[in-house]
Amino acid sequence: MTTLSASAICGGYATADFIVKGVDITIAPKDLAVIIGPNGAGKSTFLKLLAGLLPKRTGDVSIDGTALPAGDAHAACERGVSFVPQERNVFGSLSVQENLEMGGYLLRSGLKSRIEEQLNRFPMLRGRLREKAGNLSGGQRQVLAVAVALMTNPSVLLLDEPTAGLSPAAAKEIFVLIRDLAASGLAILMVEQNALLALEYGTRGVVLVAGKKVRDDAAASMIEDDEIRHLFLGRAAPAAPHRH
Amino acid sequence: MLTDLLQYLVNGLIVGALIALPALGLTLIFSVLGFVNFSVAAQLTAGGYAGWLANTTLKLSLVPVLIIAFLVAGALGVVTDRIALAPIRRKPSARTPLMVAVVSIALNMALENACRFSFGSGLNSFDMPIARDMKVGGIRIGLQQLHNLEIAIGLAVLLALFFSLTKLGKAMRAVADNVDLARLKGIEPVRLANLATFIGMGLAGVGGALLAIDTSVDPSTGSRLILLIFAGSVVGGLTSLPGAVAGALLMGVIGELGLLVLPPAYQSLTAFVAILITLLARPSGIFSGASGVRK
Repeated sequence: MTTLSASAICGGYATADFIVKGVDITIAPKDLAVIIGPNGAGKSTFLKLLAGLLPKRTGDVSIDGTALPAGDAHAACERGVSFVPQERNVFGSLSVQENLEMGGYLLRSGLKSRIEEQLNRFPMLRGRLREKAGNLSGGQRQVLAVAVALMTNPSVLLLDEPTAGLSPAAAKEIFVLIRDLAASGLAILMVEQNALLALEYGTRGVVLVAGKKVRDDAAASMIEDDEIRHLFLGRAAPAAPHRH
Repeated sequence: MLTDLLQYLVNGLIVGALIALPALGLTLIFSVLGFVNFSVAAQLTAGGYAGWLANTTLKLSLVPVLIIAFLVAGALGVVTDRIALAPIRRKPSARTPLMVAVVSIALNMALENACRFSFGSGLNSFDMPIARDMKVGGIRIGLQQLHNLEIAIGLAVLLALFFSLTKLGKAMRAVADNVDLARLKGIEPVRLANLATFIGMGLAGVGGALLAIDTSVDPSTGSRLILLIFAGSVVGGLTSLPGAVAGALLMGVIGELGLLVLPPAYQSLTAFVAILITLLARPSGIFSGASGVRK
């Protein structure tokens, strides 16, 4: 059972000032933590820093106490961290089969059985193995992106807006899938614009504002919190109808 | 008249086959690294010299000569890339691809002059038996030229198989598609960039050796052809391997057919016109979307 810990994480893009300013977080197995916050709060940047995609980082990220080097996506992947970006999260010019193979690039053996495992988990991919990933629908692409991310049997899954651009029905399917993955033992940290729905499926909520963590609490208590509902969940608190 | 036309057509295909290999190299490097490496011309020349030395001093035959040309040009391509081009690529900005392309032109000149300094400016010919031309229906075809065509097509097919069947080939296509996502999957783009450079420049080297066997090699061999090579690659869509071969063959044929109406001094004009027409009519190239590095 693997735990990801991050402490005092600061960082951003090479040409900009720090966007994330001293965030601590611990994600344990079966956690489904949802990061919410206003646009520009540094939510996606935080995930990229954890995944080793951005080189500029201070603070420590560790897996079970072993530090991950900054800006080393390869090392993060080897240590069991898998990141699904919001956009361009599959290789559009490669087939579904080739995408799955690239997901298992680091596997030394057992590639075929891992692919078979993903096809059993996501049967809709089975009939589309030869199709180019770029030709799939938005929902199918998200499912493929998650399947590819699971190829190395990661212990920590980072998801950036997994339901962006999906219909409500497709978004719910993705949330159910993510909840089931967390229940199976994965530690999941997810950024999601559809915050209320995400919190309904999640176990924890983390609020980022201007690059700083301002709250980390159980998802249920976040949903019940008037201020959180008002500021981040797009709905007025039931007890305050006069806000109109 | 029809025989003349067919003769020009065959000549064009043979010239096109020779420039197809460096065009494949240029396309491969552009697809994986995202910039046009004009020093492919110098590696073509280096391959020609390596093959010439292997043949005239070590008395090696065609196949080992081509292998040596591939290895020397490939290795030189990687070393010069690490020294001159990689440091610029490590400072990413919107202008980086243009800057790297410009520096690759300077690198090409430096390598060309290094060849001139080492081997002089004279023409150097291989010591290989000259086979009698075949005559098919009034059209003359050189046996060596026919071999060149076969080798170019064979290597293009091998390359296509490498990209569609091997783990490294697929990983290269993944890097060409989305370098950040490739990193997230544990693929190391720098290692694959080196491999792409090695294969791309190696192919240019084989093209140089074949050209030198057919004619001769001198320090400007590559520079004289770079426009045709670039045009072939652009016409082919810059990211498609079959497109690069088809574009190179097309450039060869157009260049030769142009001789029917233009003096030989204007032959390179056809390459300029082809680039101009292609970019105006179809900016992504005639064969873009065909299978290749970015399928």
